Amino acid sequence: MTSSANTAGTAGTAGTASVAGSLRGLIPAGQHRPLGWYLASVAGYAVSEGVAFGVLFPLLTALFDGDTTAAAWWLLPLTAAAVAGWFAHYYLGSRALRLSSAWRRDLYNRLGGKLVTLPLGWFDGARAGEVPQLVIGDVARVSSTVFLAQALIGAVATPATIAVFLLGFDWRIGLAALIAVPVVLVALSVSRRLTERSEAAENAATAEAGSRLVEFAGAQPTLRATGQTAAGRAALDDALADQHRASRRQIVRSLPGEYIGELGLQLALTALFLVGLALTTQDGLEPGRMIALVVLGISLLRPLDALVGLGGILQASAASARRIAELLAVEPLPEPADGKQIGHAGIELTDVHFSYPDGPEVLTGLNLTVPAGRTTALVGASGGGKTTVTKLIARFHDVDSGSVRVGGVDVRDVTGRELFGHIALVFQDVYLLDTTIEENIRFGNPGATEEQVRDAARRAQVDSIVARLPNGWASHVGEGGRLLSGGERQRVAIARALCKDAPIVLLDEATASLDTENEAAVHDAIAELATDRTVLVIAHRLDTIIRADQIAVLDGGRIVECGTHPELAAQDGRYAAFWRERERARGWRLTTRTPTGTAGDRG
Amino acid sequence: MVKVTAPPHDAADADADPDAADRTASDQTAAELAELRRAVRGRIGVAAVLQALAAVLSITPAVVLVEIARRLLNDEGESVWPLAWLAAGLLLARFALYASASLLSHLADADLAYLLRRRMTEHVSALPLSWFAGGVSARVRSTVQDDVGSLHHAVAHARADLASAVAGPTVVIIYLLWVDWPLALVTAALVGMAQTIRSRLAVRATDQVNRIAAANSELTAAVLETVRGISVVKAFAADQSSRRFTAAAAEHADADEQAQRIFLRPRGVARATVAPATVVFVVTAVGTGLVAAGWTDPVDLVAFILLGVGLFEQLTPIYLAQDQRERAQDAAGRISGLLREPRQPEVDPARARTVGTPPTVELDDVHFAYPDGREVLHGVSATLRPGTVTALVGSSGAGKSTLAMLMARFADVTAGTIRLGGVDLRDIGRDELYRHIGFLLQDVVLLRRSIRDNIALAVPEASDEAVRAAARAAAVDDRVLALPRGYDSVVGEDAHLSGGEAQRIAIARTLLAGTPIVLLDEATAFADPDSEAAIQDALAELAAGRTLLVIAHRLYTVTAADQILVLDDGRIVERGRHDDLLAAGGRYAQLWRAQQSDREGRA
Repeated sequence: MTSSANTAGTAGTAGTASVAGSLRGLIPAGQHRPLGWYLASVAGYAVSEGVAFGVLFPLLTALFDGDTTAAAWWLLPLTAAAVAGWFAHYYLGSRALRLSSAWRRDLYNRLGGKLVTLPLGWFDGARAGEVPQLVIGDVARVSSTVFLAQALIGAVATPATIAVFLLGFDWRIGLAALIAVPVVLVALSVSRRLTERSEAAENAATAEAGSRLVEFAGAQPTLRATGQTAAGRAALDDALADQHRASRRQIVRSLPGEYIGELGLQLALTALFLVGLALTTQDGLEPGRMIALVVLGISLLRPLDALVGLGGILQASAASARRIAELLAVEPLPEPADGKQIGHAGIELTDVHFSYPDGPEVLTGLNLTVPAGRTTALVGASGGGKTTVTKLIARFHDVDSGSVRVGGVDVRDVTGRELFGHIALVFQDVYLLDTTIEENIRFGNPGATEEQVRDAARRAQVDSIVARLPNGWASHVGEGGRLLSGGERQRVAIARALCKDAPIVLLDEATASLDTENEAAVHDAIAELATDRTVLVIAHRLDTIIRADQIAVLDGGRIVECGTHPELAAQDGRYAAFWRERERARGWRLTTRTPTGTAGDRG
Repeated sequence: MVKVTAPPHDAADADADPDAADRTASDQTAAELAELRRAVRGRIGVAAVLQALAAVLSITPAVVLVEIARRLLNDEGESVWPLAWLAAGLLLARFALYASASLLSHLADADLAYLLRRRMTEHVSALPLSWFAGGVSARVRSTVQDDVGSLHHAVAHARADLASAVAGPTVVIIYLLWVDWPLALVTAALVGMAQTIRSRLAVRATDQVNRIAAANSELTAAVLETVRGISVVKAFAADQSSRRFTAAAAEHADADEQAQRIFLRPRGVARATVAPATVVFVVTAVGTGLVAAGWTDPVDLVAFILLGVGLFEQLTPIYLAQDQRERAQDAAGRISGLLREPRQPEVDPARARTVGTPPTVELDDVHFAYPDGREVLHGVSATLRPGTVTALVGSSGAGKSTLAMLMARFADVTAGTIRLGGVDLRDIGRDELYRHIGFLLQDVVLLRRSIRDNIALAVPEASDEAVRAAARAAAVDDRVLALPRGYDSVVGEDAHLSGGEAQRIAIARTLLAGTPIVLLDEATAFADPDSEAAIQDALAELAAGRTLLVIAHRLYTVTAADQILVLDDGRIVERGRHDDLLAAGGRYAQLWRAQQSDREGRA
């Protein structure tokens, strides 16, 4: 059995090896030995089950010969095997539970620890969305391989043991029982390759139908308003029909693969019968021996049926293990062993080049000095890299070349703790923790007194939000803060920054159209934050820009103009053009009646 | 206040007895599942019969081997070859039965999925537009794709697995009783004991399910919070790993381990009772005794060794799929829920009327209440004369958006009438209505089609010239020409547009559609701060020569409107021109002063 499995194909064995390898890599430190003992015990028990079947041969032949005394003696090893089974079921069950729980806890710890040391930039990627699935599903799948091992080893070691007995008793019947194994393994790998394509086609069709569905549902008002409901559904209907076709094809294609193992077993059973009978009638094999051998042969084949399914589960576990290992292998941004101290609250970016992985260069030699204690407004077209500048200062990513210095020190030479001790972030997509407003503000400075928290809240105009909420300060803000409006979330984030009292604030002003009341409150909160601090603000509002001590215009990955509003306005360059556009927009009125000829006007 | 819809069943009654409510709910979803499955019920039934027959045929090798042994060992002189060939034939038949049952039920599943998906998308396209407010795309996608997918087990497997789990063991027991009833009773006792333990475990498992489910959702929430709030966690609490995550992970591991521990011993006992070594030992020990006593033919033991070992496992499928069954029921509940959503009443073709001229919009004592009975408009009357601009102002929550929504027939009035050209909106066919009314609200929707198709959505036959003219008027022609394939670029594939650009495409679409009436949210003009001026130019173009209803947030943008309607708490409290309203010194004047002081305070 084992030998034929090895000869079945290098692909199969290599696959098994990498499956075992990817799981082994995640075993907690210090658990290798207990796990090894456990696996050895499982294998020992599986062998003992095989031995019980092996013993059946002399027992049955003795009974067929009418020698019940001899048969009774053979019951002794059977008793031993049964007792071993009872012991094994209890002992191995509790070992498995202890091992798998320990493994699960260890993976939780490692993942939890890893998440907070990952480079912040990692979370911008699509992989961040997979983390919940990784923590819940993949961890459970990996840690439950401990239990899976019992079934899997049982399905391999028991038949292998029976095969040894069978070959020893009569190699011809042994071969008849085993002949199907390599045939099935080869057929399985061939059929897997056949279904891979139809499976991929089905997945693609399902993804397409899914995205058409999203479009269909999201665009209903538009589709109806344009009288295109039928046409809009046509694309979706086509996608659904494609999906249906692809899944029918996949069902038909995968049928052989699903039943090939079954067919192999049927063939083996048939071969067993025919060879047994031929040996008895042609070759003078005693009928009693033949019957006993066929019983062994059938017992050998039975568990193999389960092997295909178990193999699939193991593959899935290995895939889970690989995903976890990949996450654990992500390198944190290198931290200096003895970090330097940040001297002052100024920021300098010197000849900074930066591109996102596989993307074009976003910053192409950017130079910017943000003086301590002053407010610098960063303006420029959306998508031009303004957010990237703030992210490099907070070291979400490291620059490709050039340097980012905070307080005169390169951010790569200070610890994360030191850096974040000096910086407060108020980003546009403010994320609040699902707790009370008070806790959210205090999060910036766990040691803050109630006085300090209330003071920060008042200065960021959070107290008027609190007044509106049913439970006041104790009101929960919901997941991510969704019970508050965008402007309110930003005010809480500003209060958090105020409470932290860091000397440097990186601020991304909200662009979402705030209602007028919020607009005023956010503005006042920002003004409060700017007192005595270094502020780098990605500014969208004209009054924020005009009040800044310094305005930096980002264009084409560089700072093209830098100065105060009067200076830049006088230069008549990029900033002046920008300003004129914005002034025009600000004075905009939905004016009545200046009739112009409009294309396609039916009215 | 009048209740618009009655709750589907008496809620008070169900609340009285939570268990009863629970039971009713699960009975109801089971009934819903059966109802959804009805279309393919016949095929599923046939597949179940086929698979049950296949399960019955599983006893073939054992029965045939016993018969062969009987003939050979008792020297009856009959040929045994026909038996071997019969076995081969029956095994082949069994294989064919299995494969065709699987093919049949899986194809039925694929067909049902397609049927349900089409039924749901058809239903969705007939729902009132108000149903789509607030983003239902994800929900539609997950119900139509994932929930239908979750029915897989219930459709393709549940019936057939149950049928074979009943038919297989029944036939085995009957056969064994026929062969040797005392030994059959011993075997049945072993299996019965293990089965009793297992069914009691299944009951106890339900106690643990809730704790694990709660731990599961808390861990998911903790992971999501860590991932989404990571910049906050890192920036404000540099080296403390997420406390919530640590606690949730520990609780999850504990809950899981405790649940498993409760089952450990009984499960071990049950497994050991029916372990192959135990069954083989008991059957041979008792059998040897019976043979020695002369009550039993040794050949009969073969039947027990071969069939007794697998008997317990044949019952297992009943237990394996518990979670899949629950998932299928939940999914069926959501699918039925979607299909039960009330459709928007269709215009009776016999009563359908065309819009009269001139296309004046008249609101006549309009009331609107949400399905929960909360009324938000209490009798609004107004007239929008052709070619005039009407502005809706008022604080948020006053009912501005609701009123615009009713005019676009996203929902129907609950009392009163809206007339277009003298005809009730409810008597105008959908396409006829939207040839007259267009809207440009805050969410811009572009379809994954070419830019050209997106602009010409309402007028697919429009010439390229007309499309370009509209794009030029919407100030987006240059930008489109800069795309790799110009107007043939496909949105989301090779046309990646900024928010402001997408907005201008939508404006071009509305321009080309040429509806005489346009409903507009003024906030669209300020949605993208980096291209405000361009959007505003496009909007001004759109406004020219049409009947316009503007939801206004910044009052200064609508000072020139022909008519300003001041909404307060669902009623029109003032109406008139800007100057008159200002002079009247009422609600409008109050709003105006509040906004003006803000503006001036900052400029």
